[in-house]
Amino acid sequence: MSISTTTDKTDNSAQITARPGISALANPTRFLALVRVVLPFFVLVTIALLAVGLWLGFSAPDDYQQGRTVRIMFVHVPAVWMAMGSYMVMVSGALGVLVWRHPLADVASRAAAPLGAAFTFLGLATGSIWGRPMWGTWWIWDARLTSFLILLIIYLGLIALWRSIEEPARSARMAAVVILVGAINIPIIKFSVDWFTTLHQPASVLRSDGPALAPEFLYPLLIMGLAFLFLFLTLHLMAMRNEIMRRQIRTLQRKLARNRKPTSGHVS
Amino acid sequence: MSELFGTKYFGFIASSYGITALVLLIMVVWVIVNQRRFRRQLAEMEALGYSRVKAAKSGTVDGE
Repeated sequence: MSISTTTDKTDNSAQITARPGISALANPTRFLALVRVVLPFFVLVTIALLAVGLWLGFSAPDDYQQGRTVRIMFVHVPAVWMAMGSYMVMVSGALGVLVWRHPLADVASRAAAPLGAAFTFLGLATGSIWGRPMWGTWWIWDARLTSFLILLIIYLGLIALWRSIEEPARSARMAAVVILVGAINIPIIKFSVDWFTTLHQPASVLRSDGPALAPEFLYPLLIMGLAFLFLFLTLHLMAMRNEIMRRQIRTLQRKLARNRKPTSGHVS
Repeated sequence: MSELFGTKYFGFIASSYGITALVLLIMVVWVIVNQRRFRRQLAEMEALGYSRVKAAKSGTVDGE
């Protein structure tokens, strides 16, 4: 029972053509084999980094202004980094869909969206909890917080878009365009604290003149950042593998439905 | 616990770490549950004689 890939014109934009090079790397079978090899390593690194980062974070001294609430930074900032990092993964995927028509590009974007939404929610929630004792308010409609809320809305909109359009190639192209348009929000988030008057503090790690944090806070933060990065990579690879399986199931179900039609008595 | 979170801001720090742990746990469980569900469905399809190997090798991630 072979499954042809060339006769169905609805999804032919995602086909692997005979081109060598990058197309060969896009083969799902090779990708799944690669995931099997790297995943255990990523899991171990994530657990180790989380353990070290949490230990260093809770060993850090109290900040002279913020007191012990500075420890919220060790989960808030990495969550924000990964919220924006996930979006950049989706931007790469969108370019892969529109420019190179890479077969795994839409899979990568689609798998990153729920993870990015979760990290964005975490950034908003932990930031709000941190803001209450430091700013005296849970929320304010300033540029940083509002642009970050828009990021969450973009993530949710993209997830809804993917789910609402049945035809994979069409949904991939539409989502890719929306992702690229929404990418304008990333520099707005990053530079909003410089461009606008806001309660949020300016950047203290990714600065042109180097980090402004004391080493006691910087090292735990960087290690927690790495831990969140490896957690994202681990979950993203697993989610991509799931997405590939979901599409394989869809293909097989359609094949099964086509084969059952002649015996159903209906005339199509 | 007061050693880790302090006493004055205990609720804020503990809830930040708590919600982070909860959301990360939900993400991990979501990925693993999906993985098991899709693997089971593929195994059922294979039992009917439909091969995912053919779907994967057929040239698309959509398998179309």
